[in-house]
Amino acid sequence: MEAEAFDVAALAPLGFVAIGALVTLMLEVVLSRRAFVGEGVDPETRLVARARIGIVLAFASSAAIVLAMYAAIYQFELGFETAFGPGRPMLQLDALSTFATALIGLGALLSVWLSITYLPALRINHGEYYALLLLSTAGMFVLVSAVDLISLYLGLELTSLPIYALAGFNRRRLRSNEAALKYFLMGAVASAVLLYGMALLYGATGHTDFTGISQGFAGGGGLALSGLALVIAGLAFKVSVVPFHQWTPDVYEGAPTSVTAFMAVTVKTAGFVVLMRFLVLALPEMGEKVSVLLGVLAGLSMLIGNLMAVVQDNVKRMLAYSAVAHAGYLMVGFAAGTPEAWTAVLFYLFVYLFMTVGVFCVVIALAQGGREWDSIEDFAGLASQRPALAAVMTLFLLSLAGIPGTAGFMAKFYLVVAAVDAGQIALVLILVGTSMVSFFYYLRLPVVMYMQKRRQDPDAETSSSEIVVLALCAAAILYFAFFAQADPFGTGVRALDVAGRAADFLH
Amino acid sequence: MSIPIEHVISLSALLFVIGVVGALTRRNLIVILMSIELMLNAANLALVGFNRVWSVTAEGAARYDGQVFALMVIAVAAAEVAVGLGILLSLIRNRDSLNVDDASLLRW
Repeated sequence: MEAEAFDVAALAPLGFVAIGALVTLMLEVVLSRRAFVGEGVDPETRLVARARIGIVLAFASSAAIVLAMYAAIYQFELGFETAFGPGRPMLQLDALSTFATALIGLGALLSVWLSITYLPALRINHGEYYALLLLSTAGMFVLVSAVDLISLYLGLELTSLPIYALAGFNRRRLRSNEAALKYFLMGAVASAVLLYGMALLYGATGHTDFTGISQGFAGGGGLALSGLALVIAGLAFKVSVVPFHQWTPDVYEGAPTSVTAFMAVTVKTAGFVVLMRFLVLALPEMGEKVSVLLGVLAGLSMLIGNLMAVVQDNVKRMLAYSAVAHAGYLMVGFAAGTPEAWTAVLFYLFVYLFMTVGVFCVVIALAQGGREWDSIEDFAGLASQRPALAAVMTLFLLSLAGIPGTAGFMAKFYLVVAAVDAGQIALVLILVGTSMVSFFYYLRLPVVMYMQKRRQDPDAETSSSEIVVLALCAAAILYFAFFAQADPFGTGVRALDVAGRAADFLH
Repeated sequence: MSIPIEHVISLSALLFVIGVVGALTRRNLIVILMSIELMLNAANLALVGFNRVWSVTAEGAARYDGQVFALMVIAVAAAEVAVGLGILLSLIRNRDSLNVDDASLLRW
């Protein structure tokens, strides 16, 4: 590739979230100084003032994210496909990066809205929260457009470091500390392994950009293969694929739920997109061997994720194992590796965003009195007390299980079709079989919610921001269950076509 | 007189293995952090070493990919340690221990 124009405008989406992070940091300092001036302010006033500042910060970060998404889509509509970097491309702006940026932006936006009432409920309403969230989003924007090992590594670290801090954001809670500790230690080891793999790949091929690696890779060789194995292991850690999934349940359970929702959707999207770009650009000729390796990871993830989820008593922990299982389903698409499979994977990530945010939003709506209500017993009899909440929860769980009539079914359907076409019959059988197992644990919650008596009686109400998120997620799941390929309102946009265009990034 | 690339890479691999073993077997948090640093620096050594192999392009121009990468890694490693020590401090405030085995509330 030739050295192209060094166009700073290409970085607009990244700039908006990064500046947004700095602005929210400064805003908090300025606003809280104004609110807390004077000695004799009583704690109650302080709490109200904090909540108000939190709302301002949430609006500021929403604005930054929306601007970033708008900039990304606007640039793409203008045909602004460019490679950004000094001398050679570091970041590639194309349909895939635009799609992923929009998806990650949406995930971040919904997570911000989830946090508005959740943070005060847990008494952890500090301004750094939004700044860290935005910085991590910026890292993911880098990650999804990275076409060079250097930008990949920097993006990955910029994504991860703020999330380590966010996982431990509930500083006074031991479980949150522990989640942050485990995530940090395992994450740091994983990124060091990834880095060593990159060093070996560079040594074997003499290039750090993906296309250069693909040219240098032709001979194969032990050095290149071991580098490749380490890189795939490092990326598999980030998307919690078995056997690199051990951190997932602990971190999902211990981290504040809004953080769990954020990283469950956005990190997974970013990780899978960058893995996809790396495999397609850097290893076009390694098809057979890599596909077997990815297939093994997919099978293990589906089996272990679904089986371990069955025995969990904590909803967040159960959802963590379900996330491992879903990573396995997505890896089936990677093992297939055809353009249809990439389309199916991107569509799956899109649908997965709504299901996951929705399900964690219900857990958040239950939180009150400074603690989370996240064990399965806490859901007992929810239907009699808050019927609407129980109904949407059931919808999200059915969608995660992949029952017809929900978007989750369509996502799985396209994935299965693509995998069958690519001849991955064994993996499809595992996918269908383990999905059956998953009905058991997904349907356990509706049973508890509808058939048991309410034991505790928390008088919490669903806040308006949570209602917006829940309604949006539920509407999306119902809409894309029937109109994934259709366009009933004449908007000219079909979800599957958009995903297909994004998957077509090679041309 | 120049050092053969095999020596550099052997040293780097040795350092990396020491780092991995340390991170997996030691129980003291500070020592684990140091082991992670060792792994990152092993990678840096490999990057800089390999840069000597790939020091010119086909057209004869100088290339510094590995060295630039190593510089980036040094910056990131500093940030990583800062976050790690922050997490460590919040842990010590809540529980007077640096032993990772004490962090065992979350399991299965």
